[in-house]
Amino acid sequence: MTPAADLRSEAESLARQLPGLNFKAEASEAAHIGSAGRRRAGTGEHFWQYRRYAQEDAADRVDWRRSAKGTELFVRETELETARTVLFWSDDAPGFRWKGKGDLRTKAEEAQLLMLAIGIMMSKDGERIGMLGAGRTASFGKKAVARLAEDLERGTHGQFPSPPKSAATIILASDFYAPLAEWQARLAPLAAKCPEGVLLAISAPIEERFPFEGRTKLSRPGGEGDRILGRAETMREAYLRRFAEQRDGLRRLATQMGWRLVTHTVGTSSLEGAARLKAQVETFGAKA
Amino acid sequence: MTSLGPFLLGAPWALAALAALPIIWWILRATPPAPRHAELPSLQLLDGIEPQEETPARTPWWVWLIRTLAIAAAILGLSQPVYAPGAQTETVEGTGSLLIVVDNGWPSAPRWPDLVNAATATLDTGNRDAPVHLLLTAPQQFNPDPAERISRADMGKRLTSLRPQAWAPDRSDALRRLNDSGFKPDRIFWASDGLQGKDGQAFAAELSSFAPLTVYAAAPTGPVVISGIRSHARRASTRGIATGYVSAMTIDGSALATAPLEFADGQTEAAAEFTIPAAALARVARFSVTGQQGAGTVWLWDSADRSRRVGLVDAGSTAQPLLSDMHYIRKALEPFATISEGSIENLVAASPDAIILSDIGQILPQDAELLHAWVEEGGALIRFAGPRLAAQGDDLLPVALRRSSRALGGALAWDEPQAMAAFPETSPFAGLPIPGDVRIKQQVLARPGPELASKTWARLADGSPLVTADMRGDGTLILFHTTAGPDWADLAYSGTFSQMLRRSIAAGRGESVGDAEGAYAPFLTLDGYGRLSAAGANAAPLKATDFATTEPSEAHPPGLYRGPAGSRALNAGAGKRPELIANWPISARLLGDAEARSLRLAGPLLTLAAVLLALDLFIALFVAGRLRRFGKGAAMACVVAGGALVSVPTPDAAAQPFQYELLPDGTYRRVDNNPQTIRLPSNGNATQKEIDAALEMRLAYVETPDRSLNARTRAGLFGLSNILRLRTSVEPADPHSVDLEADALELYPLIYLNIPDSMPPLSDTAIAHLNTYLRSGGALVIDTRAGGTIGTQTDVTRLETLLEGLDAPPLQTVGENHVLTRTFYLLDDFPGRYAQRNLWIEQAGDASAPRGDGVSRLIIGDADWASAWAVDEQGRDLYSVDGGAQQREMARRFGVNLVMYVLTGNYKDDQVHIPALLERLGNGDEDQLDESPVRLPTRIPDGGPQ
Repeated sequence: MTPAADLRSEAESLARQLPGLNFKAEASEAAHIGSAGRRRAGTGEHFWQYRRYAQEDAADRVDWRRSAKGTELFVRETELETARTVLFWSDDAPGFRWKGKGDLRTKAEEAQLLMLAIGIMMSKDGERIGMLGAGRTASFGKKAVARLAEDLERGTHGQFPSPPKSAATIILASDFYAPLAEWQARLAPLAAKCPEGVLLAISAPIEERFPFEGRTKLSRPGGEGDRILGRAETMREAYLRRFAEQRDGLRRLATQMGWRLVTHTVGTSSLEGAARLKAQVETFGAKA
Repeated sequence: MTSLGPFLLGAPWALAALAALPIIWWILRATPPAPRHAELPSLQLLDGIEPQEETPARTPWWVWLIRTLAIAAAILGLSQPVYAPGAQTETVEGTGSLLIVVDNGWPSAPRWPDLVNAATATLDTGNRDAPVHLLLTAPQQFNPDPAERISRADMGKRLTSLRPQAWAPDRSDALRRLNDSGFKPDRIFWASDGLQGKDGQAFAAELSSFAPLTVYAAAPTGPVVISGIRSHARRASTRGIATGYVSAMTIDGSALATAPLEFADGQTEAAAEFTIPAAALARVARFSVTGQQGAGTVWLWDSADRSRRVGLVDAGSTAQPLLSDMHYIRKALEPFATISEGSIENLVAASPDAIILSDIGQILPQDAELLHAWVEEGGALIRFAGPRLAAQGDDLLPVALRRSSRALGGALAWDEPQAMAAFPETSPFAGLPIPGDVRIKQQVLARPGPELASKTWARLADGSPLVTADMRGDGTLILFHTTAGPDWADLAYSGTFSQMLRRSIAAGRGESVGDAEGAYAPFLTLDGYGRLSAAGANAAPLKATDFATTEPSEAHPPGLYRGPAGSRALNAGAGKRPELIANWPISARLLGDAEARSLRLAGPLLTLAAVLLALDLFIALFVAGRLRRFGKGAAMACVVAGGALVSVPTPDAAAQPFQYELLPDGTYRRVDNNPQTIRLPSNGNATQKEIDAALEMRLAYVETPDRSLNARTRAGLFGLSNILRLRTSVEPADPHSVDLEADALELYPLIYLNIPDSMPPLSDTAIAHLNTYLRSGGALVIDTRAGGTIGTQTDVTRLETLLEGLDAPPLQTVGENHVLTRTFYLLDDFPGRYAQRNLWIEQAGDASAPRGDGVSRLIIGDADWASAWAVDEQGRDLYSVDGGAQQREMARRFGVNLVMYVLTGNYKDDQVHIPALLERLGNGDEDQLDESPVRLPTRIPDGGPQ
């Protein structure tokens, strides 16, 4: 197990290597004043543009300093600044907190690493981050990252969390090996509440390759049943087909909900995984 | 031991375990191989998929077959079965004490493993608790007591540790020992070599009278013995046609020649004939039958047997060969010597045992020198008198001669031709018969002297010497005072002449033929297998007279013995006539080869079980799917193990710290073959000075007793080094002073010797070091500083005393256009403080020059260059120069040229000619185009600054 501090520093380094997050929040829905500019005029602290005075503008909105330079009246507009809430959740089943032989991290740790990296970038941009089902409200700043790391580490004791009170961007990490119907049942209430979300499917290399041969007794971590295969290599094709089907179904499920699916394999470049996750998170802003 | 058909079982109850086999079989059948465990979180994905092919729940039949076989083999192996077909009939015989008689002489060596195997097989028969006794027939100093009780396990070990001895078995002695011990065996097993030897048949009869006798006779096959060097190889069996090969080998075992040996049907003897060149003959040290082990098939060749190599000095062709002296000498030598003829130079180079000169008065000085050296090193020079020798002698004679010959008999003489007197007791000829009818008509006379009597080997009846000899170094000069032919004497007609020549040659080598005196100490001995080794402690010296009669034994093992007359060999097979024992006692039971063998099956069976289990392991791994992962590693391990087996280091011949070298006289000398190293003058740890000199190029000067001169030389070289650094790419470090006796000279490219006014001659060590330095390519510049004296040219007489012993080449003055005048600057003169002085260098084209580039290693002058170059620390000139600043500059330029000359060698010489070469090359093409003749430059320009 990688110590939490190592994960954190690794996430920091990932966040540094990624370009700044361009999380274009949809201003209309945003109620909170935050520090992230939304690249449009609105309520905020920073100058956005001068605009010709229009009839509907209040007189006290005229910027006299600019207007004194010419004959026309100008209104000073500031950039809209809002903050969003991003909630993370990582599966804490024994099968997810598991690493294959030769792997560097467990799947859960890999998920935490990627989510922390995104979380760090978001908190820098003034977003509120927190853990879904942790019982703590989302917050921003450095403290929020530390809290998120703690909460992800602690997990939710096998319970799938209930939807948050208000809408938020959700990032869910799991291996998603349970039957799709089960996942649909779990995700439906969440998707109803939150239209934006990313499913982060983490898998171990061994799960993607199925390298077993000969007489093999396979068991699930956590003692959730086992199975003896007479000649494991004959099962490989069936397994790989099932694996692909599961991923396809998951993608369909995510699309139905308007969510995104990001897959990542332990052992491949975490930076790449984080970049893909970031790209998917960023698309939510563009949609508006 | 329980017997079961041809098998004997050591632990028969172990077979009871075979009853458990069906149960084991049933259990194995029911148990499938254990699966391999693995965790897979995504196992859920496989829910609902049924495998197409499942391992059967029961073990496949071939797996349990392998396992059952492995267990069965293990059980059978544990019952310690022995396959002994010969034992079956013996179970009814007495189970009392067993006496094992083993022939362990050399005839047993070829089939020794069979004998030991047969004896060991007997141990498995009969009562396992009954005592066993051992009797060896080859007598030793400490023979095993037949009465000693030995357990079977110990006996097995003893039998395997036995080795055949190099001498023959003495069975009557063995029988006597058995009688003396008072032991009465209940049965006897005799592992015999099957040869009659002295009393084989009688021995068998005696043994069978003691107790029931079982005999295993392993008669050697093929050639048994080399019975003599001019005789033949003998075999034991007369049946069939057999062939073999005999090799003539050097002492270190390399075969020089091989000859076939063919026994015709019914023949027991065959001869191998060799044709070996004379030069190679000297290296032959032994003959052996190829592929046959045993001391009998090795014939050692001692120096007494070897033929002499004699050189006859070619005196040119003669018109009447039958009358020439050489003809008689050749005829006399032919029976026992290898003759080569040629010039003295060639003969000495071939280093024969003796060189014979017939009537040669004066030997050329260089030939005389060669002969002298050869005689000093141990050669025997035999000369015959004659008219020429009588006229003019030289110093290669044992005695001083009178300047004329003495004629006995004839028309004007009173004397009668003389007969020979009896040989003196001390003479090597002593004992030879005196031919009564030999008359000496003429002889050269020795000057009388006090030593003449002791130098005389043969006399005439009147007492005047006929043969005289004298030692020179290690060799001998022998003079026959008469001719070798019939001109002066009839001696050449008699057989004694040949004998005298033979003994002269031997005596000249410091040996004496037929010498019965002295003891011969064992030097190299043969073991039972016929291998040479250094003589052991038990081997005792042997008297020369006893060689013919001594039978090889432990005290006198076959081998080479060294004594006063070179080496003598004692051969195991000398004169032997091996015969098979034909008539065995009726009561004795003869075992055939197959019956005598026993095979312990426990080991192979257990091995089989282990192999099967290993196979099963691999199958289990394969079934479990782990084999592929281990595949590579296992294959690598196998390859590594195989490689280790293959590359078991073989004993390296070079690793042996010494080897034997065959000397011309047939003896052997131990030669250390450590590589020779030439030590540098200075050895040990390098001093800081040496390290500095090796790391940076620098000039050096010889430290003289004159300290102020040393300072001056140092300042001069310091100034020259500065100039070199400034003007050229040569950047020498500060000069070193060297002590010729102590320092490592070879580190300096140039050593400068300023001769002080008074200097003692250099010591021998210093001269030796200087010689080494010059030979290895160094350059020595000698400055006598005497140039200031008007009118004298370079005076080197002082140098001759000073540098006596220096390996100085012939010198010449530096001519015009010498490369020294243009290595860097173009110079006309080589001035120092004094101008217009001669400069002496090595003569061009001296073949002995060690530097192939024609650069002189010795440069001698008297212009006092060092003073002209000398500067102080601030670079100011120290001494005045005759020609002022101009000449000082020229002196510096000479210094630069000198260093360049030493460092670049003939490179600059070649460069100097490049313009002329280019000119010539260009001429070929432009002959027609360019009408004007090519004008060679009066002075050939070079690349250096002017």
